[in-house]
Amino acid sequence: MLHIEGVDAVYGPVTALSGVNMRIGKGELVGLLGANNAGKSSVMNVLSGIVPAAKGRVLFEGEDITRLPPKRRVELGIVQVPEGRMVFPQMSVRENLLLGGVNASAKPKRAQEIERVCELFPRLKERLAQPAGTLSGGEQQMLAIGRGLVAGARLLMLDEPSLGLSPLFVKYIFEIIDRLHKDGLTILLVEQNLNLTLRFANRCYVLERGEIVVEGTADQVRDDPRTRSAYLGL
Amino acid sequence: MNPELFRTLRSPYLWIGLVAVALLPLALPNYYLHIATLTLVYIALASSWNIVGGIAGQLSLAHSLFVGTGGMLASALLLKMGVNMWAGMAIAAAVSAALGAAIAWLDFRFRLGHLTFALITLAFAEMAEIVVIGWEFLGGASGLFLPKDTGQFTQFQFGGVQGSFWIMLTLAVIAIGVNLVVLNAPLGYYLRSIRDNENAAQAIGVGLLGNKIKAMVISAVLTSIIGTAYARYLTFADPYLLASPVLTIEIVLFATVGGLGRAFGPALGALLLVPLGEVLRGKLGGVLPGLHYFIYGATVIAVIMLSPRGLLPVLQSWFTGKSAKPANSAPAKSH
Amino acid sequence: MDELFQALAQGLLIGSTYGLLALGMGLIYSVSGIVNFSHGDFVSLGMYLCFALFSALALDPYVSLAVTLPAMLIIGAVVCRYLIAPVAEAHSLMVVQLTLGISLALQNLILMVFGGQPHRVPSVVEAKLVMIGNVVMRMPHVVAFVASLALATALFIVLRSTDVGRAIRAVHQNARAAALMGIDVGRVKIGTFAVGIGLLAIAGALLAPGTPIMPSMGLRYTVITLLALVLGGMTNFLGIMVAGVIIGVSEAMGMIYLSDTLGMILPYAVFVLIVLFRPEGILGQSRG
Repeated sequence: MLHIEGVDAVYGPVTALSGVNMRIGKGELVGLLGANNAGKSSVMNVLSGIVPAAKGRVLFEGEDITRLPPKRRVELGIVQVPEGRMVFPQMSVRENLLLGGVNASAKPKRAQEIERVCELFPRLKERLAQPAGTLSGGEQQMLAIGRGLVAGARLLMLDEPSLGLSPLFVKYIFEIIDRLHKDGLTILLVEQNLNLTLRFANRCYVLERGEIVVEGTADQVRDDPRTRSAYLGL
Repeated sequence: MNPELFRTLRSPYLWIGLVAVALLPLALPNYYLHIATLTLVYIALASSWNIVGGIAGQLSLAHSLFVGTGGMLASALLLKMGVNMWAGMAIAAAVSAALGAAIAWLDFRFRLGHLTFALITLAFAEMAEIVVIGWEFLGGASGLFLPKDTGQFTQFQFGGVQGSFWIMLTLAVIAIGVNLVVLNAPLGYYLRSIRDNENAAQAIGVGLLGNKIKAMVISAVLTSIIGTAYARYLTFADPYLLASPVLTIEIVLFATVGGLGRAFGPALGALLLVPLGEVLRGKLGGVLPGLHYFIYGATVIAVIMLSPRGLLPVLQSWFTGKSAKPANSAPAKSH
Repeated sequence: MDELFQALAQGLLIGSTYGLLALGMGLIYSVSGIVNFSHGDFVSLGMYLCFALFSALALDPYVSLAVTLPAMLIIGAVVCRYLIAPVAEAHSLMVVQLTLGISLALQNLILMVFGGQPHRVPSVVEAKLVMIGNVVMRMPHVVAFVASLALATALFIVLRSTDVGRAIRAVHQNARAAALMGIDVGRVKIGTFAVGIGLLAIAGALLAPGTPIMPSMGLRYTVITLLALVLGGMTNFLGIMVAGVIIGVSEAMGMIYLSDTLGMILPYAVFVLIVLFRPEGILGQSRG
């Protein structure tokens, strides 16, 4: 479904990604692992179009989207749930969900999708009128994911969904992610939490300093000694 | 003290230029001499402002307070209380210093951001204009007419157009000189670090309050003195000129066009725009009022769009290799 | 006593338009963080465009809005897209000087084209009076009041209940997240700037009838707008409207009860105190 070929990304003088090749098959749950600042978020940002690829291509369902603006990518279904949730704090849960569906492709189905999200996350349904800033971390994560679903995600990209959440919530969120995956959603999961990711993902990539150092099925990646060393910076 | 300073001071171009300028009154007819003198006034004002606005990066729109104090207070003291204008100048400078220090303190105490500082100083400037116009002692709305200039230096008189030119030249040189000294002294480094990132500067131990006050006081005193001299030159202390926020806006724009934070930047801006403006006003002022101000505005817009660091860097890149190292200004990071 | 009510009425009417002016600036500020120091000069522009249309075609200012509003919407979009947005992107600290430059240029362009003597823009409603009890109100002020309230209300409704409004609030609260929702942040910024300037076209038409207009009044309106904006809490739109009214009323009262100088300084003094001691404004910061 998605191919990243030879992508470089730079922030001023800093090279964040170098020669990255990845592929995500339709219906797969692909994990992107690595220590802090390895470049995981940069991959997401390149896919979302908010960071340009200095070199290389991004192909989505056969089409070259490398130069496509962020707005169009969302319309295609490439939706990022950013690190830290980034809900709109002074808007209600309902308004956040409505915003998820402002893009042209999602708008027609917005009401139904919001219904669906409410069924998926009963907690959110109870709090529709509440300002998003007053929700707990876990609830905000639910909202952020829900928002991404309303946006019509066909490739859902999750950036560190477990960050700052209690173990109970983390378990809950990952169950939801697994369920979405089993229902057919293609998911790119960026996580620092190795074990959880390896448990649910089909395949994984490990990033170290902007380069892919390990790739394979979850088991292959788990057993590969380079994975550990990438994390420990050895 | 950065050795850069001495290298600049040794530049032959600098001294030749200075001597050439000093000889101008012997060559120019009075009308042009007047324009030249006016240019020097604005060079001096813009350069003085630069210490706070360019080097320290604080967009003070309150400098008309200092010009106004220098011009109106000193004149009032002379006319209403017989105080010798030299003393009046000193008193006004002291008052300006106090006002400046107060503003700097407010900035520090309330941790004002870039924008709020600009807004507050603008509010002070507006208030000052209203106060001056409403206060009879300072001349009210009609201003103060100073006694005719008969050349008695002890009475703070300059002796006509030529004498005034040299006085203003001295003031301009002093203002630029102070810029040079500040830029190359530790104070300059502290101010620029505050400009670039206040929190980081504070974290490494740069005293915010002390440095901000120093910058403001130096600038205020200089500006006030120039204000007094300006009033004397015009023989008329005009509140709508000297205490007007528009004056501050003008000098901010000159400094911006020339190059903020550089010793010769504001001078370049004033040098380019003031003569242009005066000539335009003279030739076309009747037909197209406001043309020169329009040109000022348009120039600032053009410069910010095309060369945001001002025109001085552009000039320097034309002359690289030809002249001595460019005027002092350590490489400034982003703006 | 009558005097007091008269002052209050006057202040309320004018203040609502001040509030509208400030809403324009608040809209722009909340989305792009830009304070436009040439704001008041655009109000001037609006008034002078009314004057031009009146001189050429004898159009009543309220009618000429049909031309001036679209014109200023376009002007706003162009100025933002080509002048302000690029500078705000690359050198955010220079935006103040840029808008000061625009102010100077605009003000004097008007001066060059129309001359410095005051002009009048008459309106058919100019001479009419509205009386409530012993309070006499001039029709243009009443019209301004009604129109300002209506527009402010419309703005609130749009912001609260439409997708466009939600997109604007989203960009204000978190521009990056808004981009990830597929919102074209650049377009929102330019669009709100254009609307902000368009509001000034309307304000110009509202303020013009019965007032002598001069090129130099731009600065005065900029300052009033800044006062209302800061007093209102920068991004709290309700606060801004209230602040506008407060400024209108205190201006009217100050004229009557305080000596000239003190009366004129009062708004500035209040401004400084609010900025220092209650920067969140009278009603607190934005409620989204």
